[in-house]
Amino acid sequence: MKRKLIAALLTCTLAATAFIGCGSKEKPSAPVNGGTQTESGENTEPAASGEDLSGTLTFAIWDNNLNDFIEQNDMVGKFQEKYPNIEIEVEKIKDDSEYWNAMKMRASANQLPDVMFNKTFTLARFKDYLVDLSGTQACANNELAAGYAIDEKVLGIPMTSGYEYVFYWKDMFEEAGVTVPTTWGEFEETAKKLQDYYGKDNPDFMAIACGLKDEWPDYPYMEFMPALESGNGQNWNTMAGQDAPFAEGSDIYKAYQKVNSLFTSGVLGKDPLGLGNDQVTSLFATKNAAILALGDWGLQNIQGGAEDISQLGTFYLPTRNSESDPYNVIVQGDSFMGVTTHSKNQDAAVAFVEWFYSDAWYPDYINYVTSASSMTNFPKDKDPVLAEADELCPDKVLIMYDGGGDDFTAIQNETTFDYKKLGAQMMTDGFDLNAALSELNEKWAAARAKLKIQ
Amino acid sequence: MSKLSKKRKQFIFISLLVPVLLLIAFVVFPAVDLFRMSFTDWDGYSPSSNFIWLENYAAMFKNKDLWLSLKNNAVYFVIHLFMILVELAFAVLLTSKLRAAKFYKTMVFMPYIINGVAISYAFSYFFSPVNGAFNSILEALHMESFIRNWLSDEKIVNFVLAFVSLWRFSGYHIILFMAALQSIPQDVEEAARVDGANAWQLFRYVQIPAIMLMVDFVLFDNIRGALQVFDIPFVMTAGGPGYASSTFTLYTIKTAFTFSNFGLASTMAVAIMVMIVVIYVIQNKLIHGLILKDRR
Repeated sequence: MKRKLIAALLTCTLAATAFIGCGSKEKPSAPVNGGTQTESGENTEPAASGEDLSGTLTFAIWDNNLNDFIEQNDMVGKFQEKYPNIEIEVEKIKDDSEYWNAMKMRASANQLPDVMFNKTFTLARFKDYLVDLSGTQACANNELAAGYAIDEKVLGIPMTSGYEYVFYWKDMFEEAGVTVPTTWGEFEETAKKLQDYYGKDNPDFMAIACGLKDEWPDYPYMEFMPALESGNGQNWNTMAGQDAPFAEGSDIYKAYQKVNSLFTSGVLGKDPLGLGNDQVTSLFATKNAAILALGDWGLQNIQGGAEDISQLGTFYLPTRNSESDPYNVIVQGDSFMGVTTHSKNQDAAVAFVEWFYSDAWYPDYINYVTSASSMTNFPKDKDPVLAEADELCPDKVLIMYDGGGDDFTAIQNETTFDYKKLGAQMMTDGFDLNAALSELNEKWAAARAKLKIQ
Repeated sequence: MSKLSKKRKQFIFISLLVPVLLLIAFVVFPAVDLFRMSFTDWDGYSPSSNFIWLENYAAMFKNKDLWLSLKNNAVYFVIHLFMILVELAFAVLLTSKLRAAKFYKTMVFMPYIINGVAISYAFSYFFSPVNGAFNSILEALHMESFIRNWLSDEKIVNFVLAFVSLWRFSGYHIILFMAALQSIPQDVEEAARVDGANAWQLFRYVQIPAIMLMVDFVLFDNIRGALQVFDIPFVMTAGGPGYASSTFTLYTIKTAFTFSNFGLASTMAVAIMVMIVVIYVIQNKLIHGLILKDRR
């Protein structure tokens, strides 16, 4: 009898397991404007008292620096001082690539975490799964959030303002007799001089360090240069409305010709395709490279590998053709914290977002990382190394970068346009950029026709 | 029906029910769903998708990067196939009375039990162009002229990766062959020796036919492994430069996750299943029909 019972239980368990995946997919609920959403669809203001809210929240992150800070500063304990009945489970995912893979799968399974992060290029992808946070205090105090609203809904609060820098060693520049470049031509010239000067004694030297084995480290060039060239942060979205955006004379054509010319001039060292970002960052930190283009977050990695950063300086990537052109500089909201529609405790999740961006947590965090603050109520002085770029470039024009909306993403997926891979391909034997751009034009027009994008 | 017979039947039924249910839940159902998805345009996260008939199959055949990736799989397949002969020879050698055979067996099997990702990371540093151990070895041996861009030269990168794959999996095949060789009854081999068979004749006419089932399995494992190779190129080169070292599985995963096209990726997964079966059948016909003349 006992055996029968065990067998029956096992059978039921297996049957249940088999049918879990067959359940109908719950349609994502519509985002709400301000406050949180109740089951009836009404908007409510976040609860006034912390003790009224309860539940367990999953907070999924990929950022190592944030993870370290959370662990070192007992984020959960501090949050529970105000909200004693809310549990927080921090889920650290290896890196952002893995993060998006996991989130895509979890979106389809109705299992997104309560609080998730987005980048500018994933906001459009997850827009149906994110609650509108436009009514929150965190949004009101954030200088970038409203600029990334989709259909007038703020789907995430950027944790930092992301600037892109070119890191360089001042003493190496001085020894080689070069100065900080202010135009693209000067930038190429400087890199060549550095390569010639240091490369003759050190065959491993790279004037510009770029770990193309990982492909993504070319993003300051391949992702941002089209926007810098056009002065249009919405460049990807503009392209979605064109049939031949890669045609000769277009902004992306001009930008990629510049990148191709730089990459193939030998300034990336003897084998950039054989090195990843970690390796080239270490080599830069030990002065086996003179220039490294990365976001502000890169400073922490360089500091970790360098013995002394007194000679470390920064400037903004000069993509302009002449000094009379505007000096365009990318700025973007980074790490957009959002509340998902799959959250069973949306009130608590919104309360967590509010707390995260409040005096109780955000000021300490933003001072811990090298990135710039995105909150108007908690301004932060830039790190002296990063501030040098502003001193060198008082006339900069900020270009607010958008990673691309629905139409662009759909065309990009259809055409398999991978700008980061394209940058790495430039270094391969026999690569013909013009042929590649021409092929992309054909695919682009076909994709627009197929997807009926006007 | 006696009580014992009834109980026996019940036991057999329940014993079968559990694996069958597991098989249905985790193999049959996902496979059927995969096949269904291959006819849709599902992006991997939207709640709905459209049925698009054979569009994905047509798109797959037109995708030149995918077929380049498949060509790269062929490098793994051919190299591993030729190595099977060497593996067999090693297995015979290690099965015979060899001094310190146990030590060699352990050494041969060791790479297989080490985590594949760890191996890939280790070899990516080994072949690194800057401070890489392999180049340092060549320099120490005054063989600088042989130094290449091991992980970024399109002409050699697949061979380098296939070498790492060999390093990892050959030991596994050797152990399988050894297990099969050890299961051959001693009297058969002794009888052959008494009849005057030399080592080659013993290997060709006694040992090989006796372990043919295992050879079949290893050959099948080679096809499956070569077509599904993922971790080594993923970690060591991410399929680059360009798609020069991409493999069919790597491209399938990129299609699903980077380009959010789970429908097309499902089509590729169906294609890989079909290819494994087709190549296995052809290989079987060739080996049994032409080479062994159906001798088992």
